[in-house]
Amino acid sequence: MPINEVKPATGGFSFDNYARNTMLNDKGFKAPGVIKTGTTICGCLWKGGLVLGADTRATEGPIVADKNCEKIHYLAPNMYCCGAGTAADCDATTGLISSKLELHRLHTGRQSRVVTAMTMLEQMLFKYQGHIGCALVLGGVDINGPQLYTIAPHGSTDKLPYVTMGSGSLAAMAIFESRWKKDMELEDAMELVKDAISAGIFNDLGSGSNVDLCVITKDGVDYRRGYDRPNERVQKERSYKLKPGASTVLTSSFRKYVEVLDGDAMDTS
Amino acid sequence: MSYDGSLRLIPAIQPSRATVAVVGRDTEYGVHDSMREGIRSVASEVIARHPVENIESQWKQTQEQLRMTMHRQTFGLHAPLRLQMEKALVNQVRRVPVGPVRNFGLDILENRDASIEYEDFLGDPQWSTNTIDPHVAMEHALGLGHI
Repeated sequence: MPINEVKPATGGFSFDNYARNTMLNDKGFKAPGVIKTGTTICGCLWKGGLVLGADTRATEGPIVADKNCEKIHYLAPNMYCCGAGTAADCDATTGLISSKLELHRLHTGRQSRVVTAMTMLEQMLFKYQGHIGCALVLGGVDINGPQLYTIAPHGSTDKLPYVTMGSGSLAAMAIFESRWKKDMELEDAMELVKDAISAGIFNDLGSGSNVDLCVITKDGVDYRRGYDRPNERVQKERSYKLKPGASTVLTSSFRKYVEVLDGDAMDTS
Repeated sequence: MSYDGSLRLIPAIQPSRATVAVVGRDTEYGVHDSMREGIRSVASEVIARHPVENIESQWKQTQEQLRMTMHRQTFGLHAPLRLQMEKALVNQVRRVPVGPVRNFGLDILENRDASIEYEDFLGDPQWSTNTIDPHVAMEHALGLGHI
């Protein structure tokens, strides 16, 4: 790093440690693992709007890092986005696009359109050429009606009536393909999305815990966190607490833990 | 910056070996200046850069190229010339590049007034540990003291 810079520092990412990290990697010191949301996320259109669903497990390699994380992120009052892939990337990306949409709303004075969010997301993901690992299901209702989009990590998008993403997407898509119909009622749509996410939870190791739902209509958003909890820890059948006096005491010593000082008594004035 | 009529969407993927920066900033024959730039380590110059670093450093330039080329082909030569003229007018104010340098006109022209980017909340320059010597910075800005 030169001692004398001639341009003032700008913000953004810093790659100062990349060379050091490569060198450490070559010498055998592996970087800590990334928390991913090996996930099932899905969404489907119904007669009056759309329903988004997600599971709540975040994994770090083979370990469950978070048993109840939130994968449905706020983008705008009329739009929510489910994120699969690297958890930090999903959080930061949706947060940034949410701020961009707010600035855009202040600039235009109108409700944000879903295509605006989709375009911002796809342009950003394409710019970083897939290094930002997030696969998103974006759903919202605007002047053009309810719309559902998927955005893949490299920046490709699809506009579809029902979508699934994540490691449990195949299980969820099987449910959708057999039961989705055009112009469903709300209860049917919520039941369908719940079943699709449950298929992912029970058949995919990367998904688990609870089902979160988000119903978006032109009148507003109904975010049901923990809509279904099929994996609650049951109460144990017996109590395994030991009664006091259950272990035999062989020796006891307290003098080595107590510091005996000579001096005056405590002054409590 | 020269516009060469390129329609590139994203910056070119650099070869994995970074180019060795031989030209010093303040020397006559392009030799590395240890006093100003610290001890030279050839290993650190040859090691591969992260692909995202390459994308970030060339992004604005590549987008400008694309935009100017498309404007020229769609509207004629006058369109990119006018846009570049506006940019040159806005960049005329020459301040000493120490501390937070803000150019509101440039922000508007580059559409940063209605947008938020990673530069706005990551890596706050207030906490950067690089100190800028205003004399060296001014020399560089005025084009004195280097090749």
